[in-house]
Amino acid sequence: MVIRHIRRIKNKFASIVRSIFRKKKDVKIGLYGPVNSGKTTLANKICMDWLGEELGKASSIPHETREVMVKEKVTVRDNGKSLTFNLVDTPGIATKIDFEDFLKFGMKRKDAKQRAKEATRGVIESIKWLDSMDMVLVVLDSTKSPINQVNITILGNLDARNIPVLIVSNKIDVKRSDTTRIRNAFHGYDVIGVSAKNGDMMNEMYKMLLKKI
Amino acid sequence: MDLRIKLIPYEKIKSKDYADVLKDLEEGTILLIDAKLTAAEEAALIEETMKIISDKFSGIELSSMELAHLKEAKGIDKFKNMLVEKILGKKRGLTIIGPAKIVRKIEKNPEDLLLYM
Repeated sequence: MVIRHIRRIKNKFASIVRSIFRKKKDVKIGLYGPVNSGKTTLANKICMDWLGEELGKASSIPHETREVMVKEKVTVRDNGKSLTFNLVDTPGIATKIDFEDFLKFGMKRKDAKQRAKEATRGVIESIKWLDSMDMVLVVLDSTKSPINQVNITILGNLDARNIPVLIVSNKIDVKRSDTTRIRNAFHGYDVIGVSAKNGDMMNEMYKMLLKKI
Repeated sequence: MDLRIKLIPYEKIKSKDYADVLKDLEEGTILLIDAKLTAAEEAALIEETMKIISDKFSGIELSSMELAHLKEAKGIDKFKNMLVEKILGKKRGLTIIGPAKIVRKIEKNPEDLLLYM
């Protein structure tokens, strides 16, 4: 409880400082997370809701997004409040990329190797973009255990940079989804459970997003 | 192949001297570091690892933990720990980095790290 309050005060202060400089540049909201957590599906849902067009291709094959994709001037509105930002969809962060994993999806050896190569570049790019974010939605797959090094490293880096974070517990439409497990694992963070695929709880997510920045 | 485990000083990571670290990992050595890495150091290590991924080397499994009793310390004990860590220049704990082809998973528990190979 105390940690949560300290984090809120710290983020609020950082947000005030950022807002002073924001006028000069565009606000960037990033989607970060491990591979296959649904970042692009969420980015597409946000873009469809507010711009009427998608951002990129989502797929069940890991590392579908291998380059940072930006959709400019997305305006989210709720109850008279609005926020215009550039939405940045980043490649999933991983500590290992094995081209043989792609072969299981029926990919040819040459293509799998190429995909792995591009995926490694994507991870580096994602990490480099962290510094330019004004806020980050950390997208986690709520059907999987949240305690892993990638999630800890992402959140640790955002904390170190005082970047406001909203954890999005995605895939709540799946039966084995467990948002409570994510809340328990990451005390002090705001967590919202959504289904980017079905659009469940998206309005609640937008409300939280507007409150945080 | 024999299982190789090497203990390396935290200063190697702190000084961003990754060449030997990456060479050891590529050669299949599991590395133990006598401190908890910072989030920035973890990210830098992931970045460096991504640069050397190949058909033979698929990356790493990494886990870093702070000693539980230090993490839970309160009041004067917490202050003392902070002071000691300031003097030492590192967060007391442990980090394990293993080549992904050898270490399948590292389970992080509150007081220990468990390697699955």
